[in-house]
Amino acid sequence: MKASDVFSYAFSAIRLRKLRAGLTILGVVIGIAAIVALLSISQGLQNSISEQLQTGFATDTLIVSTGGGFGPGEMASTGSDFKLSVNHTQIIDEIENVDMSVAVIQKSCYVESGEREFRLTVAGVDFAKYADIYSGTFIAKSGKIPLNPENEIVVVGKRISDPWKNGTLFCDVDYTIKIIWTTYNASTLKPENKTYMGNVVAVLEEIGGFGLGPSDSSVYIPISQAQTFFETNECNTIIVKVENDDETTIESVSEAIEVAFSDQVSVISSTAVLNTISSVFATIEFFLAGIAGISLLVAGVGIMNIMIVSLMERTREIGILKALGMKSRTVLSIFLSEAVIVGLIGAAFGVASGWVLANVVAVVFSGGGLPGVGRGNHAATAGGMVITPVLTPTVFLGALAFGLIVSVVFALYPAWRASKLKPVEALRYE
Amino acid sequence: MTTPIIQTTNLRKTYMLGKVRVEALRGVDLRVEKGDFLAILGPSGSGKSTLLNMIGALDKPTEGKVFIEGIDVSTLDDNGLADLRRKVGFVFQFFNLIPRLTAKGNVELTMAIPGLGKKERGKRAEELLETVGLKERVGHKPAELSGGERQRVAIARALANSPNFLLMDEPTGNIDSKTSKEIMALVIRLNKEKGMTTIVITHDQHIAAQAKRKVQMLDGLIIREEVS
Repeated sequence: MKASDVFSYAFSAIRLRKLRAGLTILGVVIGIAAIVALLSISQGLQNSISEQLQTGFATDTLIVSTGGGFGPGEMASTGSDFKLSVNHTQIIDEIENVDMSVAVIQKSCYVESGEREFRLTVAGVDFAKYADIYSGTFIAKSGKIPLNPENEIVVVGKRISDPWKNGTLFCDVDYTIKIIWTTYNASTLKPENKTYMGNVVAVLEEIGGFGLGPSDSSVYIPISQAQTFFETNECNTIIVKVENDDETTIESVSEAIEVAFSDQVSVISSTAVLNTISSVFATIEFFLAGIAGISLLVAGVGIMNIMIVSLMERTREIGILKALGMKSRTVLSIFLSEAVIVGLIGAAFGVASGWVLANVVAVVFSGGGLPGVGRGNHAATAGGMVITPVLTPTVFLGALAFGLIVSVVFALYPAWRASKLKPVEALRYE
Repeated sequence: MTTPIIQTTNLRKTYMLGKVRVEALRGVDLRVEKGDFLAILGPSGSGKSTLLNMIGALDKPTEGKVFIEGIDVSTLDDNGLADLRRKVGFVFQFFNLIPRLTAKGNVELTMAIPGLGKKERGKRAEELLETVGLKERVGHKPAELSGGERQRVAIARALANSPNFLLMDEPTGNIDSKTSKEIMALVIRLNKEKGMTTIVITHDQHIAAQAKRKVQMLDGLIIREEVS
């Protein structure tokens, strides 16, 4: 029997029982839709996180710290007493392929403006170098970032200026804010407050989301002022700008820095962070796909169940077909074709509805209304993130193939049983 | 002596019906020549249908052999048996049409199995249905046809692959006598005009009277044969 005839015969059998076929297909649709929706959302989430990281954390930079911090185990604290100092930038600057480096002194302080007070991160940086490294994010929205500041000045992130996003400002250019740092007297352990009255000279452009570079909710003061104010030369991190973001360059510079500090520092590159995130997402995706896969298996059991029922109902028909000279393998392929049709239709509708579902979820997730509905706040400013679900060709084809394979695998046994029926017994079946 | 189209030697069939051992055939020797018209008579349970199923390669004998055009059926594998069945025109008492296919679809399916093209089989199906007098009913499904019409479709289907012989298991058992006469007239005409070898199981003496040979069966054995 020709393949086209096998298919059209199988199709006529499916069409006969529309409701039953529809429900069987629905099972596959749900399974596939779950897989597609979960995977395309997590892919979209990963993309948006990576994108934000790349914006906030230039790919040609390295972060040197004394350990702990962000990253996998190898970057954990070395346990030594080694402290990074502002002057260490000189050592780093001499390493080949290093463009420049900038030390960051970071402390948590109370910041007062008017009658309000917040606990914020205050970072002391060299404005000129910092602006050069983060040329995409350390930009003044209003005011001007001074390159060689000598006075007690402050640069603030967008959220510091307008924390409630309703125009009620906490501070703005030309405001004077008070930074209060609590230190503990070394001998008496009594807290002592130090204050820094800073004149706001610039408010940064909105950066959005999160990154390891400048942030919307930080207060920046000149490094020289920070050294005086915090009475230390010790810095939390040194940001290194490498001459290019070539992977081998990044690696060789990272190694050179570690060697220069006798392995007492850890070096994080944006590539490493992105790789870590990718691997975390790969695990999450695998897990999600597994859960969704289970629902597809349930659909597979449904297919098997339906086909066994259908096999019993059609025993006589199979007897007739065999009496007419149909070969066992043709009977097998008719039943498998039915599964292929169910699987294909189910997978196709599943991918489509999974995609729709992903987009709906993304809109809800992004925390604001429907797209296109004019709202002053972009979703990102509402604290959430804009997730654009991504349906990769791999997920698309994989879902189609998986739907098809599950359908066929679960149809194998019923189809095999159908093909093995003896004609005379099948014809006698009532 | 020419090779008979059908020959059985010492054909035996035993099967278990629940816990009861049934000896359906107890040594049947039958020889059918090309162009023969055989009527098999006998009470129910005498083994008529079992014999016909053996000849049509739908069932396997417990003992003895069936030869179709000199070929020992027991030597054929599953595919060989399927090929053999394509050359057997089987007509059943209960029609055994596929309910969801039209009259034409049922006849066409028979030709689709050996792989005949859509165009050719469509044309031939219409011709065959016209031969059995169903020209106007080609597009109807079995449920929309009377018993007699269904059996005509079954005959058209049996003829579709130009079979070597026709095997009819009480073809008129479920239809009225007038239609039954018409159908038998059709079968006789096929036998006379086209030399179609035919074996008919029947209870109807009128039909049996028209056959060239009358074979009487009882308890799994051929007890008498009349040649007219």
